[in-house]
Amino acid sequence: MVEKLRIWVAVKHGIDVGLARADRATGLVRVDSAPRKTSDFDKNAIEEAVRVREHHGGVVTAVSVGGPAAREALREAVAIGADEVILVTGEHWAEWDTRAVARLLAAATRKLGGFDLFLLGEGSTDHFAGLVGPRIAGELKCGDVAYARRLTIVADGVVVEKDLEKEVEVVHARYPVVVSVGQEINTPRLPTFMANLKASKKEVRVVRPSDLDVPDDSLAPVVVIERVAVPEISRKQQTITGANPDELAAHLRDALKEEGVLP
Amino acid sequence: MNDERVLCVSEEPDLGIALVRLARSIVGVEAGRVFAVVLPGSAPDVIERIAAGGADGIHVLEGAASSDPHVVAEALSALVSDLAPTLILMGSTKRGRELAGRLAGTLDLPATTGVTGLRLEADGIRIDREALSGNAVAVERIVRRPAIVAVMSGVDAPPASPPASTERSSHPMPATVPLTERTEARPKAGGQLEIEKAERIVTIGRGLQKKEDLSIVEALAKALRAEVGCTRPLAAEAGWLTDDHWIGLTGHRVHPKLYVAVGVSGAVQHLVGMRSSRVVVAINKDPNAPIFAQADYRVTGDLYQVVPALTKALGG
Ligand SMILES: Cc1cc2nc3c(=O)[nH]c(=O)nc-3n(C[C@H](O)[C@H](O)[C@H](O)COP(=O)(O)OP(=O)(O)OC[C@H]3O[C@@H](n4cnc5c(N)ncnc54)[C@H](O)[C@@H]3O)c2cc1C
Ligand SMILES: Nc1ncnc2c1ncn2[C@@H]1O[C@H](COP(=O)(O)O)[C@@H](O)[C@H]1O
Repeated sequence: MVEKLRIWVAVKHGIDVGLARADRATGLVRVDSAPRKTSDFDKNAIEEAVRVREHHGGVVTAVSVGGPAAREALREAVAIGADEVILVTGEHWAEWDTRAVARLLAAATRKLGGFDLFLLGEGSTDHFAGLVGPRIAGELKCGDVAYARRLTIVADGVVVEKDLEKEVEVVHARYPVVVSVGQEINTPRLPTFMANLKASKKEVRVVRPSDLDVPDDSLAPVVVIERVAVPEISRKQQTITGANPDELAAHLRDALKEEGVLP
Repeated sequence: MNDERVLCVSEEPDLGIALVRLARSIVGVEAGRVFAVVLPGSAPDVIERIAAGGADGIHVLEGAASSDPHVVAEALSALVSDLAPTLILMGSTKRGRELAGRLAGTLDLPATTGVTGLRLEADGIRIDREALSGNAVAVERIVRRPAIVAVMSGVDAPPASPPASTERSSHPMPATVPLTERTEARPKAGGQLEIEKAERIVTIGRGLQKKEDLSIVEALAKALRAEVGCTRPLAAEAGWLTDDHWIGLTGHRVHPKLYVAVGVSGAVQHLVGMRSSRVVVAINKDPNAPIFAQADYRVTGDLYQVVPALTKALGG
């Protein structure tokens, strides 16, 4: 049994996909000015981290890589129950790609105390790549389990139910381990008023790449996002009506027959 | 570009074969080299089918199949240093994405997933991928090689004429100590339905009040000779339908001739799964439901009235 579990959780302050709008003229989304929020699955990761601590003890450290506004995601992490929060930031944070983010997260754990269990979301809401967790584990040469929908702490590590397309695997992994969680793992608690108040006062530890011994030039993006466009949808948008449900149904049937999509 | 060397890896044989075809189509028939990795435990006919897909070299990993991403990534790392690929194609399945990330972290390579289009251009590889939970399409440029690109199923190319000869070699799986062990694997309930292949789909959302009422939707599906699909809450939360019915970002992507969305609000994470449908019908009691903006035929009404009437009108 680990004496005092070191639990890390990665939290992204990403684009709010529900609110991001494309420019009417160009069809492009202004990624830099789009509204942001805490990535959905990361809340599940924070909740799981806090539950593990509640049952097994330890310390939960939430870390975000991003700009000043990412403090908001860290504040939310504290409101759910994280103990310590770290913001990794730098002049060029907006250009950092998945590789750079994973490097910084791996370096942060190395430099700032190490971890037994590192929880992430299985995909960030805006990018949904599913790369950061496995990348960190590859870099640190530790075990990883993605698509976790249940996590149990055992003597030397964790047992995870891994949710694949056609099967569920039960995987045993020893510490240190990186686990990427899906939405099904839990329901994140809604912080109380008091928890929110306390969180707003929590001090954020701010670190820069140089504090983590990561040279700035090693963070230059290798995958550059050139444009984000909302595909044009051209649907007929015809409203079908009728004096009563039967008449309406007949109209709809006729329209579908016309389209040639009925059996 | 004559010096492209593409390595194709997938745990799903059909996807692996599609990757080989895609690789062949982007590097050309005469130019470039296409290699395929066959993971342990693959069916014997896979090798022949990969050769027919246009691979110049097939590398069979022999030994026990491993579910540990670390072990598989170590085996692939060895092949990457032997074959010096310029591009590594993988499938953007859950296992594929996990492996792509693991390998990228191990070898410090660029990687991208969820890819729907891929072009080799003078200043780098350009890819299209789903972005903003499927709400948008992003164009990304990969500026360093080799790079790992994980493509969505359905990205395929016409069969190329196979190269004059296909070299085959086998490699033992490395003696890497696994970092994780699978203690159990159980198939998911359901799992037989391949909703991607359906020509017609009737999808039900939270507009349905109780599980028993599924019969109303099933009757319509029967009359339309359609499969039943669902939104995430019905599968993941209520458990009324198994995961193979689940459509959307975290479920299945479908492209039927006819898609009937019943009691579905039309959240972006759902829309990404059904956007490629040819004709879309939406039945919803809320005239402002976002699904209506994505529909060819809009019916504002109570599904409990409209669906049985439509079933009847179709002779069901
Ligand atoms: C990261 C992430 C991934 C996700 N992945 C997916 C995914 O893959 N697939 C997916 O579907 N969702 C996914 N979701 C969830 C998604 O955001 C929505 O919550 C979900 O799609 C809503 O499902 P729904 O339309 O069934 O329910 P609701 O949004 O509750 O909509 C129900 C609709 O039914 C209508 N209605 C109610 N009663 C009636 C009636 N009697 N007659 C007619 N209409 C009626 C209502 O007007 C409403 O529009 C994901 C969410 C996140 C954050
Ligand atoms: N900028 C970031 N800061 C902190 N965590 C991140 C960041 N980007 C991604 N992550 C974590 O990595 C997970 C997977 O992200 P992605 O690979 O982008 O799909 C997310 O759910 C987060 O937990």
